[in-house]
Amino acid sequence: MANGESKRKGTQRDPQRTQRDFLCVPSRKPLRPLRLKIFILVLVLAIGTVATADQTRRRKAINKPPTQQRLPAPVKYSAFLHSSDKHKSLACNACHKVPTAWTAKRDFPDVADFPNHDACVRCHRPQFFTRQALAGSGPAICTVCHLRAAPREDGRFAFGKPNVTGQAIRLKDERQFTIEFPHDRHQNVIAATRPDRGTNQAVSFIRASFFESRTDDQKRPDYNNCSICHQRNDYLFIATRSALPDARTEPYIFFKTMPHSHDSCFNCHWKNQKPTSDDCGGCHKQTATFLASDVPVRKSARFNHEGGGKGGDHAVECTTCHINITRASTLRGLTPDVSIVSCATCHNDNKTITYKTIVTVESELAQFKKSGECQYCHTPDVGKKKPPASHEAAVK
Amino acid sequence: MKPGFEVRNSSSIIIGALILTVLLVGNLLSHAQTPDARSLGIIRLKVKYKSGGVTKELPRKRFFLIKGTLDDNRMLIDRIKQAEVISRECYYRSKGASLPLIRWLNEYDCDSVYCREIEARYLSGSDTVPEFQAAYNLGLREFKTPELARRWLTVNLSADIREGFYRQKQEVLGALVKQSEAATKTRVMSVMTDRKGTAYLTDIEPGTYTISNLVGSETGKTSILWACEKEVKAVNLAIALRPLTVSNEKDPKLKCEIVERPLPVCEK
Repeated sequence: MANGESKRKGTQRDPQRTQRDFLCVPSRKPLRPLRLKIFILVLVLAIGTVATADQTRRRKAINKPPTQQRLPAPVKYSAFLHSSDKHKSLACNACHKVPTAWTAKRDFPDVADFPNHDACVRCHRPQFFTRQALAGSGPAICTVCHLRAAPREDGRFAFGKPNVTGQAIRLKDERQFTIEFPHDRHQNVIAATRPDRGTNQAVSFIRASFFESRTDDQKRPDYNNCSICHQRNDYLFIATRSALPDARTEPYIFFKTMPHSHDSCFNCHWKNQKPTSDDCGGCHKQTATFLASDVPVRKSARFNHEGGGKGGDHAVECTTCHINITRASTLRGLTPDVSIVSCATCHNDNKTITYKTIVTVESELAQFKKSGECQYCHTPDVGKKKPPASHEAAVK
Repeated sequence: MKPGFEVRNSSSIIIGALILTVLLVGNLLSHAQTPDARSLGIIRLKVKYKSGGVTKELPRKRFFLIKGTLDDNRMLIDRIKQAEVISRECYYRSKGASLPLIRWLNEYDCDSVYCREIEARYLSGSDTVPEFQAAYNLGLREFKTPELARRWLTVNLSADIREGFYRQKQEVLGALVKQSEAATKTRVMSVMTDRKGTAYLTDIEPGTYTISNLVGSETGKTSILWACEKEVKAVNLAIALRPLTVSNEKDPKLKCEIVERPLPVCEK
């Protein structure tokens, strides 16, 4: 009986299946355990990803619990911010006087010191003189400029770098401003052509500012060009250079500094020529997002500005190789990069002016394929990276 | 419940979850991706001019890259060809500048007094430039030290003498660039030639462009205005290194409109 029943079950058609076949509905097998597992795994992953992304976003947006957010943050009078609403509403010369007592600090008129006490006291009298302010270690507001809040404390922070300890947002290098400088306009206004007097004037034109001990021939004035603002750098430290594998180290003197004093600007912009010295905002822009680097990135620290064969062909005008300078209207994104085009003009196998005995872009790339390094021009940190597309294009 | 509903529903959920995951992962990855590196072009510009039988390079002059062919920019080109720009010498004469100052500017082809250091020899003696001498004397009173008075001399010069000609030229150029940008809806790029008359225009979207100095460049006795057409292709360095040489001489291979005018005689 049992056998007969089971046989019947085996051969008996499923009435639901019959119906599906008749209606042309595709048949589906029941969900297998493996599929179920995959489904659960995918679902968990998806939910997990959503939850993590959401949480990260929330963490970024909310630093404090909601109860704290509603309360105004306590004002820290020891931390000065140019970006506070009140300070922002003031003109720069409401506090900063131009010039300060410059003869004591500089050899030119300058904004060389913190504003006078009056600049702070006229709004912040309670923070200086109330019993509450004087309690404890003294008025905290004094420590914006002074090292300690004490009546006879003369020690002060360096001007331009006030006390920012305890500031919620600490800017890179503790600077609250960045500088805007249009190289293109300045290139226009200083454009000059040194007359050719039959010698290779242009070479000595650059060298005049490069050498410490000049020959009589080189003791000519340093005419306005890049070296007016970018002085030679005797103190530059390039970390990668110390790790060079051979003795071929190039002198530091070719690398330039960036202007760090008002002297480079005030010699033209002291008065009359806008932006003038009392218009701080003409050059200094408040920032929380952008700060130009103080130290340029050196990609070819092994390049010898004095080189270029017997003719010293490397010693051309700065902008001959630093080709982006004359078109740069801002410092944002500006680098003194030298395009491979500038190098390949001479260091190229296909050109008649190729320096045959010296490296070409082609041979350097071939070298990279063998050793994984380009070290004729580049320091090891850069030379071990894959050459950019522009370099590859040079040998096509 | 319809037959097979459970099975179909589960499959839909799997597909839905997969789509969701793909979208999420795609979204997360998109933040880490850098923009596509497009192929951009380069022009190596070389500017020369022939004067008195000698070919020279045109140093330290600004050239502009304007989107479109010469015909596309016809209005602009007609405008720059017709524009009358006063010469440097005539400008300074009209402002009552002394001859030594005009000579000082001409010697280094300077549009403003900022172009070169003002040496002590121009403050007294046979080379004296009266304008510099007067400004120096004012500086001596203000800055106390002779060296600072000399280095900061320009702050006591009048605006016209200081950079009036340069400013006037920049106003004309600014208006022309603005017109070009409005017409082409593309930012105008510019570069300055080096002492050998070479300049590189980089990161150019492939297309056809007009290269022009927009205002005639003074070259000794004449003023030369260029407007040349150039097709830019995605970079191939071998192509980029081939210079685009523009000159005041006729070149059948290059589509250029050149206007060379003698510098005007200035009224005294």
